[in-house]
Amino acid sequence: MKFLRAAMAASLLAACAGQTASAATGNVLFNGTITATCTLTVNSNGTMTVSSNLQSLSSHNAGGSAGSVQVDTTGGVSLSVDPVTVTTVPASDVTATTWTPTFATSGAQTIAETGTATPLTVPGTSTAAINLTGTKGGTNRFSAGGYQATVTVRCE
Amino acid sequence: MTKVRIFVAALAASLAPLAATAQSMTPMRGEVRAFADAFAVRIFPGNPYDQRIRVEVHVYDQDFQPIDAEISPRAFLLAGQASRPVLVVVPFDGATDRKVRICTESIPFPGEQTQIRAQICGKFFGHRRF
Repeated sequence: MKFLRAAMAASLLAACAGQTASAATGNVLFNGTITATCTLTVNSNGTMTVSSNLQSLSSHNAGGSAGSVQVDTTGGVSLSVDPVTVTTVPASDVTATTWTPTFATSGAQTIAETGTATPLTVPGTSTAAINLTGTKGGTNRFSAGGYQATVTVRCE
Repeated sequence: MTKVRIFVAALAASLAPLAATAQSMTPMRGEVRAFADAFAVRIFPGNPYDQRIRVEVHVYDQDFQPIDAEISPRAFLLAGQASRPVLVVVPFDGATDRKVRICTESIPFPGEQTQIRAQICGKFFGHRRF
């Protein structure tokens, strides 16, 4: 009897010896898609001052300051400024003014001062300095009073 | 026809992805196929500031000429760090395809000498199917 039991156990072990374990592995895939995003945060508006010859009203002039906009993007967008169309000038100023908005960025991506649309290809945070210059030609001059202009900064 | 537009809008609204907060606008790209004479896009303007701002939504063509689209709501006050959905229904105006820009605009600090208007524009392409 003992021999029979031992023989059966041995035969079972021999039958199972060649079998592999039934545990299996599998891969779980994760996919993610990031679409182009852009966030503009206006840190501060700008200030324009008039030049000594009274023909330039600009944030570049002494005492003036550029506006500051923080740009957070994944890249794949472009940054631009629109021509200035909405201004408020003193009633005494009846001559034409040419307004020129420009921007320059530093940080994740550096862009030299420009007025044309520029691709933002580097993801991250950049700071854009927004400048505005109003110019009068010939004998025309800026006059006393309050001036106001709106610069549109576009990320698209 | 209004019912068709509402249906298209509702369909688009139900399919639109959920928005994350603190985005100025999402999505910024999109392609829509519609079986009506208009296509709908749901966007999510966001306010990255801690203060409440006034937000306006405008629709332009490729040359930045305004398009008479149905925007709901067109202008609203948005709380700091908040985001909300805006439904835009753009008519094809007889065309089979239409590219538009949907722009979210705000002037966060009005009343100063040189104001900055922040404008985030998304590009959307509508295809009409018959």
